[in-house]
Amino acid sequence: MNIQQQVPRNALVWIIICLFALVAPHAARLPVWVLAVYVIAFIWRLQVHRGRWSFPGRWVKVAMTFSASLGIYLSYGTLIGLEPTVALLLTAFALKLIELSQRKDAYVLLFLGYFICVTEFLFSQDILITLLSVVNVTLVTTALVALHQPGEHQFNRGTIKLASTMLLQAVPLMLVVFFVFPRFGPLWTVPIKSHTAKTGMSDHMKPGDVASLSQSGDVAFRVKFEGEIPPKSELYWRGLVFSRLRQDIWSGLGFYEVPLSEQRPSKVSTSGSPLSYSIIMEPTQQNWLYGLHYARSNSPGVMQSSDFRLFSPGPLEAENMYSVNSWLNASADESLSDWRRKAETKLPPLGNLKTRELARELRSGVSSDEEFVDAILARFNIEPYVYTLRPGALAGDNQIDQFLFQSQRGFCEHFASAFVFMMRSAGVPARVVAGYQGGEINPVNNTVIVHQFDAHAWAEVWIEGKGWVRVDPTGAVSPDRIEWGLEEAMQAEGSFLAAAPLSALRFRSVPLLNMLRLRYDALTYRWQSWVVGFDRERQFDLLQRFFGGISAQIFATILLGSWVLVLVPVAISLFRKKDTHPVSRWDKQYLIFCGRMAKLGLVRAPGETPGQFAQRAVAELPVYAKELEQITRQYNAIAYAKVDGSGGSMGEALGRFTRTVTRFKPARRRGVIDETVSS
Amino acid sequence: MQLQGVIDSAVEEVGGILLGKEPQIRLALCCLFARGHLLIEDLPGMGKTTLSHALAAVLGLSWKRVQFTSDLLPADILGVSVYDAKDASFSFHPGPIFTQLLLADEINRTTPRTQSALLEAMAEGQVTVEGETRSLPAPFFVIATQNPVSQSGTYPLPESQLDRFLMRLELGYPHPRAERQMFERRHSGALAINNPQQRITLEQLEIIRVAVSKVHASENLLDYLQRLVAFTRQSPEFEVGLSPRGALALLDCAKTWAAMHNRTHVVPEDVQMVLPAVASHRLVPSGDYAGDGNALVDLLQRKVDVIGS
Repeated sequence: MNIQQQVPRNALVWIIICLFALVAPHAARLPVWVLAVYVIAFIWRLQVHRGRWSFPGRWVKVAMTFSASLGIYLSYGTLIGLEPTVALLLTAFALKLIELSQRKDAYVLLFLGYFICVTEFLFSQDILITLLSVVNVTLVTTALVALHQPGEHQFNRGTIKLASTMLLQAVPLMLVVFFVFPRFGPLWTVPIKSHTAKTGMSDHMKPGDVASLSQSGDVAFRVKFEGEIPPKSELYWRGLVFSRLRQDIWSGLGFYEVPLSEQRPSKVSTSGSPLSYSIIMEPTQQNWLYGLHYARSNSPGVMQSSDFRLFSPGPLEAENMYSVNSWLNASADESLSDWRRKAETKLPPLGNLKTRELARELRSGVSSDEEFVDAILARFNIEPYVYTLRPGALAGDNQIDQFLFQSQRGFCEHFASAFVFMMRSAGVPARVVAGYQGGEINPVNNTVIVHQFDAHAWAEVWIEGKGWVRVDPTGAVSPDRIEWGLEEAMQAEGSFLAAAPLSALRFRSVPLLNMLRLRYDALTYRWQSWVVGFDRERQFDLLQRFFGGISAQIFATILLGSWVLVLVPVAISLFRKKDTHPVSRWDKQYLIFCGRMAKLGLVRAPGETPGQFAQRAVAELPVYAKELEQITRQYNAIAYAKVDGSGGSMGEALGRFTRTVTRFKPARRRGVIDETVSS
Repeated sequence: MQLQGVIDSAVEEVGGILLGKEPQIRLALCCLFARGHLLIEDLPGMGKTTLSHALAAVLGLSWKRVQFTSDLLPADILGVSVYDAKDASFSFHPGPIFTQLLLADEINRTTPRTQSALLEAMAEGQVTVEGETRSLPAPFFVIATQNPVSQSGTYPLPESQLDRFLMRLELGYPHPRAERQMFERRHSGALAINNPQQRITLEQLEIIRVAVSKVHASENLLDYLQRLVAFTRQSPEFEVGLSPRGALALLDCAKTWAAMHNRTHVVPEDVQMVLPAVASHRLVPSGDYAGDGNALVDLLQRKVDVIGS
């Protein structure tokens, strides 16, 4: 093999380190056998390097490629979609290592490595992932540098220093590009993450759903209020409205199931100053957004449905930031259309007869709908109902009957569902609302962190003259849940985050750990609002604030200007470095002479001796033959010959030489040519 | 000047046999004036042996020629003790090495064992046979020829032995004009009679030696020399840089070259002129570098600044 094509040992070591560093963040998502491929590839390449095994033959490679694709297909059931594609890429990455024998292979591998760094962000844009990616980029760059360091037969840790320095030098440019470079809309879309579980609330609710969601300590969203944070008992984050019950499953009305006239939300009269806040949601792969009662948003891509929910047109595949204005006291839907009244009182024709009967009985005992609500809540309160995360499974038909009259153990969705069922049985318009309730206030940056275990379901009842009124049956059973949150409510049971024994949230009682967790969360908020959330609008705002109006010309000027600002200091420091060597006085004079010649386009090559340079110069500029010859002779005499008595002392010779150089002022090229012509 | 004339006539004499190779002839003379051994390396039939014979003749030295073959033994070069039945004792029969100029033809066709027998002789001017050290005549030169190492049936000279040759020359193909002249001469049958004559006497050799010792090497020049040497040791292209012995050889040759050109001081051109011959066989390219010793010398010539530090 051509020596130039060889991969130095140092580079090989770095490439292998890269390989494992790059796959590490993906490891949890990949099938185990892909990781095994990595280990095999590593061992194989190592044995090749040691001369024990040989590179795979063509058919072996074909077989490996084919079986890897087949393996991905079998593991994921498809080859299309984000996870299978990334898994395929990562497997190919490992297999490429086995056949890495030449420089060009290494280039392919390393440039692919940069791409793999990027794929990580398709799954998470977390601050830690970003830090890890910085490390990975450094490693890949190090391997690339090592590839260009010939003669490194030993592993050399110093290479990473060089690579880090290079990357640090690139940081200013990176910032410029981040802040100033135009952000285009997506030129293509990545395949949807078909294999990631959709997180958070789902679009339907059956008994046990919210309880299982409450086992998770993940963050659902973070909220920053502009003013003071309202009390926790007021923080009902509406996400979904379930108006339809079918086979014990509550679900929302689809967009096209609502008649055209009902598709737009009715006008709501608002009074007083709104509660302003902004929300950064974690990706859910779903399209609903959360907000307090009567929420309006001016953020792009946030829409409002006829049941006053906020939603986004597409699923949330990345962190999403939007701001909301809420009027907690506004009354929504003061009058109810016939269609809606029908939709919100509809029940399955059969089933849960005992519940229906109980409802009718209770309704007949009171004079108004509001009293009816109180009666049911009072019943929840007085009867021995238990609010628990472990309600036990309900099976078969008549689940509401089973809950109300037999088990009497339930989580919020059981109470909300039973409550709405009873309301509707008595002909009162009511619906289930799902979302989150409460949240944790982070004193570090004054945000409200809403976790998955804050998931909650409650009810809304339409009362004549008041519109939709929020009723939370859970509050009647366990007031602690609303006042203090799930952890307090479940203290006796000990079931809070029982499935996640190591979650940092379980150690809230350790002040140091809790402080660290909250500080990290504050950092995450900052990261999400400043870096991840820095989109085209925010870029525009920022540039507008500094430069006034924005036009294409200004944009280009800023971009180029900032590049110049960043690069000029680098250039200057590079120029400076050259001038630091001590030079003898005659060499200095000679270099002045060389500088003058360089201005005429005659640059002395490093390996060119004064004599050779003079010869070349005379051939180019015969006009100055005499001067050139004199300077070279004098310089040679001082620099190389023993200064002898006949020419005077060293000092005199140097003085003469200095004068000769000073007198020699060759004219610009044009002048030289003119002179040649005239003479 | 007299010295110049002597050298020029010697060059002319050799040049009459080996056409169009004046620079190589001058370098070869420079090597011998600097009291160094000379290695001539090129493909078969390029005039290696012709050059070495002509040099021997021009210098008027007593010379012997050994054709190195794979079955040559050290004793064949150094000499051997033979039992003399008449005297009933061993008497030493000196080998071909006991001469002023040894022409070792195709030195890399013999085994390392025999090659190394030359070593002591070349380094110290003496040989040790059967425990007895005998000194060689003075001056003692070795002019060796060899085929390129990649040719089959060769035992490459080890670095330690290459280092003992002050210079290595490559002759290269003749210039077309010189080649044409050669054809014409052969055609007219003039070549055979043209035996070279002695042009330089031993006394003149001594005069040259004295002249060389008086040549001045300035600080600037020594700086340049040091930069050259440092470059070979620091740059990644070099596996093995110039040894201190190599550096001294470079200085000696540059001084000799300056003296041969009638100068009392060394200029950088002198160093650059002798550099390929002195350095190319001492430099080893690193594994990642594609070029050979000549490419390294070229790199050295171009990259190392003559002026400034």
